[in-house]
Amino acid sequence: MNEILIPAFSRDAAALLPYLVVAGGGLLVMVVDAFVRTLKKDHLSYLVMVVLLASIIVQLVTRPADATLLNGMLVTSDFTRFFNYLFAGIGVMTTIFATGLFDRNGRYRPEFYPLILFTILGMMVLAAANDLMTIFLGLETMSLATYILAGGVRGNLRSSEAGFKYLVLGGFSSAFLLMGMAFVFGACGGTGFGLIGRTLENGQAHQAFLSLGTGLMLVGFGFKVAMVPFHMWTPDVYDGAPAYITGFMATAVKAAGFAILVRFVILTQPQLGFVWYPLLSVLAVLTMSVGNVIALVQGNIKRMLAWSSVAHAGYLLLGVVTMVAPSVGGPSLMVRSSEIGEAAGSAILFYLLGYSLMNLAAFGIINILSRDPGEEADEIARYAGLSRRQPLAAAALAVALLSLAGIPPMVGFMAKFYLFSAVIQAGLIPLAIIGVINSLVSVYYYLRVIVAMYMQDGEDASYDGTEWVSVITSGVLAALVVYLGVMPDAFHRAALIVFRQIQF
Amino acid sequence: MSLITDHILTWVTFVPLIGSLLLWTVVRRDQHARILALVVALADFVLSLHLWFRFDSGRGDDQFVERVAWLWSGQVSYHFGCDGISLVLAVLTTFLGPLILLSTWKAVTDRVRDYMAFLLMLQAAMLGTFFARDMLLFYVFWEAMLIPMYFIIGIWGGQRRIYAAVKFFIFTMVGSVFMLVGILYLFFQAGSMNLTDFLNVHLGRTEQLWLFAAFFLAFAIKVPVFPLHTWLPDAHVEAPTAGSVVLAGVLLKMGTYGMLRFAMPLFPEGVAYFAPAISVLAVIGIIYGALVALVQPDVKKLVAYSSVSHLGFVVLGLFSLTRLGIAGGIFQMLAHGLSTGALFLLVGVVYERRHTREISEFGGLAHQMPVYATFFMITTLASVGLPGLAGFVGEFMILFGTFSSATLANARLMAVLAATGVVLGAFYMLWMYQRVFFGKLDNEKNRDLPDLTVREMVVLVPLIVFMFVLGVRPGLILDKVEASIDRVLAPLAAQPFAHPEAGGHALWLPGGSTTDDNPGQAVRATEDLR
Repeated sequence: MNEILIPAFSRDAAALLPYLVVAGGGLLVMVVDAFVRTLKKDHLSYLVMVVLLASIIVQLVTRPADATLLNGMLVTSDFTRFFNYLFAGIGVMTTIFATGLFDRNGRYRPEFYPLILFTILGMMVLAAANDLMTIFLGLETMSLATYILAGGVRGNLRSSEAGFKYLVLGGFSSAFLLMGMAFVFGACGGTGFGLIGRTLENGQAHQAFLSLGTGLMLVGFGFKVAMVPFHMWTPDVYDGAPAYITGFMATAVKAAGFAILVRFVILTQPQLGFVWYPLLSVLAVLTMSVGNVIALVQGNIKRMLAWSSVAHAGYLLLGVVTMVAPSVGGPSLMVRSSEIGEAAGSAILFYLLGYSLMNLAAFGIINILSRDPGEEADEIARYAGLSRRQPLAAAALAVALLSLAGIPPMVGFMAKFYLFSAVIQAGLIPLAIIGVINSLVSVYYYLRVIVAMYMQDGEDASYDGTEWVSVITSGVLAALVVYLGVMPDAFHRAALIVFRQIQF
Repeated sequence: MSLITDHILTWVTFVPLIGSLLLWTVVRRDQHARILALVVALADFVLSLHLWFRFDSGRGDDQFVERVAWLWSGQVSYHFGCDGISLVLAVLTTFLGPLILLSTWKAVTDRVRDYMAFLLMLQAAMLGTFFARDMLLFYVFWEAMLIPMYFIIGIWGGQRRIYAAVKFFIFTMVGSVFMLVGILYLFFQAGSMNLTDFLNVHLGRTEQLWLFAAFFLAFAIKVPVFPLHTWLPDAHVEAPTAGSVVLAGVLLKMGTYGMLRFAMPLFPEGVAYFAPAISVLAVIGIIYGALVALVQPDVKKLVAYSSVSHLGFVVLGLFSLTRLGIAGGIFQMLAHGLSTGALFLLVGVVYERRHTREISEFGGLAHQMPVYATFFMITTLASVGLPGLAGFVGEFMILFGTFSSATLANARLMAVLAATGVVLGAFYMLWMYQRVFFGKLDNEKNRDLPDLTVREMVVLVPLIVFMFVLGVRPGLILDKVEASIDRVLAPLAAQPFAHPEAGGHALWLPGGSTTDDNPGQAVRATEDLR
């Protein structure tokens, strides 16, 4: 009965609704900002949050069946929904932090509101991409908006530098990506994931073109997730962009990058597993080690967190390596059902969730302390005595940093636990040992900030910005960091289910 | 009541944590924070007494067990249990808890609420470590312990507190992360994180050696075993009094406890392979610690190095692999907790008055502070192992166990060398005592020092009472732990190399004599000690 009453298009439409909500919401915000003069500026932030929450609610209510949409351009499953929820949640937090800062210095950036929605739209499309073309669309939508967000603080040289650098290097990496897609197209005879997957499973793709193409595409993805050696932009951009955007980039952009990287690696694994495994192993080790070692000597907390985000990309890559470890093998969809594959995949998802929480909490606090984007609270030395001036903010930041260092009972530990246990389950013990040594190194630089906040005395006037909404938000994030560290099971279980639903 | 008694281990562990959360959320005034913390610690002690009196000493297995699935539908579980070894150490922890809080009543005036909350949090983490029977749960508590201790040293410590705090944190982490890899490796062999399942895994010799090394490193750093001890003097000297007491009293025992509970039973081959080397390190630690203590100008540093020496005895006892030596090691853990804890408290008393701990600044204090001098004397004698006080029993059992050990190469030489540590111990402690308390009171600044206050006596008297009690009735402790030792180390006894008739050495013979050389003697010694 339903089949007759509901035409095929409207079923597609239900699945597309969250994307339409975010896209339409972005346009709406733009129009409202331009034409509704009576509105107070910060009302835009409520509108953005309503749009993002609506996109979540739409997905919770309709729960469309797993399907490919728009003639195979997009795919919808629990996997994509997981990322949609994650992006929307990060978007809400970022909006709160940003609005708090605008409120404090009285300088609004109305363009922030539609742009954050467009960025999230791009990420949602990227995570759900089922065609090389959609990958490019999603990636560029995301990136273009992020360039402006990072560089759009007018009159601020560092921000402009960050935006420009990100734009130029990002454009460069997109070119690599496109070139790679062309090669993959040539090797497989199509751009759809379904076709590529079938070709690869039958071993019919042109091996040289395929390797070259995926290698070039890896450059593009590696750039977005800040993988060594494509990480050079990270410290400058993270440092120059205002803290609320840096937090957004470190969490949402990285998650989006990994969403597509995971799917792409699994897709191409049947014919390229033997390349992926050694290549990604080397890159993972390099990424972890370079990130952690350079983070050791940073005196600027944003740069330190930038290098730490490089290091965390390395840990996540360990998970990706595990999915293509020789002990997994088989056709691509085997990965999601093999024991090790699903352990690694769910660990990556859980890690992204935990990493987003702790990083947002950290950047949220940095943002609170900043008076305006021109004067960011970024010198670690000036965090001295923060625990006396602002006990709650200092505690939230301390929890976030200890979690990033992987100390129990914080979520950072549990995330690493799931991840390293998958690595060891796959028998990659040397990689696990390199991983834990890296996480050991990282303890030192995270502790430095805590040392400053709790153990040194500082001037009363340094970094005294405050605003209770953001402090409470960061406090809630820090509480979640602890809660997920103590009770991770439900979320990990969900991550497991989500990973099993990965679609092509 | 059954709500409490059915989950007694959970209550004992988490009452202090609840207390610290209460402190952070409810309390505003310093005095209220002190009182609340003390009440919580006392309540925790009372709860732990339930454990002590309901504990069935005849059984060596875990009692008061609680188990709830935690992760992966129960492969990792919230699993608490308490056997004799855990019991005595946990009760030591809860016993020291209120005394520590009381000792800092006046000493800490800055951020009192945070200080009390961190101390309670630390206590919860330590208790959880002793009770955990699931490896991941153990690891979580083991690591979580670092956080409060790091803040205690780093915020309320002395001049070089930041250096000491970071060093403490990093050193401990170094060992722990390798243990984590080992735990994960075993997890996939065992199919669960349950300690019992870990014990049932059959490991090859190479695996055992590597895994033993990974576990031992984590525990050896915590003990600390020479040459990994360098963090300890820094941490002790810079930590505030309460921090030093917890560190010496309980935290160091985490290492020896871990060896006994995990490293030794899980990897018998590793034990057999490494025991000779470890016992050499232990003896070096004993003598080196004593020699360095001898030349310290700072009383607190002297006591810190004496800890290195005393913990060397514990390790030597454990790796003598004799029943007597191991029981002695456990006893020494407690005795050291009491005597060194008391020593740090006593040093803290004089530091609060003079703000210096240089031995040369003192002299003739016995005239000015007779009660203090008496308390200090008893504690010193307990620490150097005078018969009749707690320190003697443990050291005696360890030396006897080592002497009669059949597995250690040159066991008798080891025992003799270790015994020189006892002599040196008496030397440095009594010499320090002489310089501080005897002679003329010639430093003007010491003229007006008040003697112990009532509060300070209340803190010290229980410790001193128990130094005597354990010294004359060691059976109080030994009865509780003996069945558990046999059970925990049963995997060692099951090894072929444990039986002389199989061509190996007499490694571990539960319930029997320890060697062929002096049959029955060791057993009789244990009987006599009761």
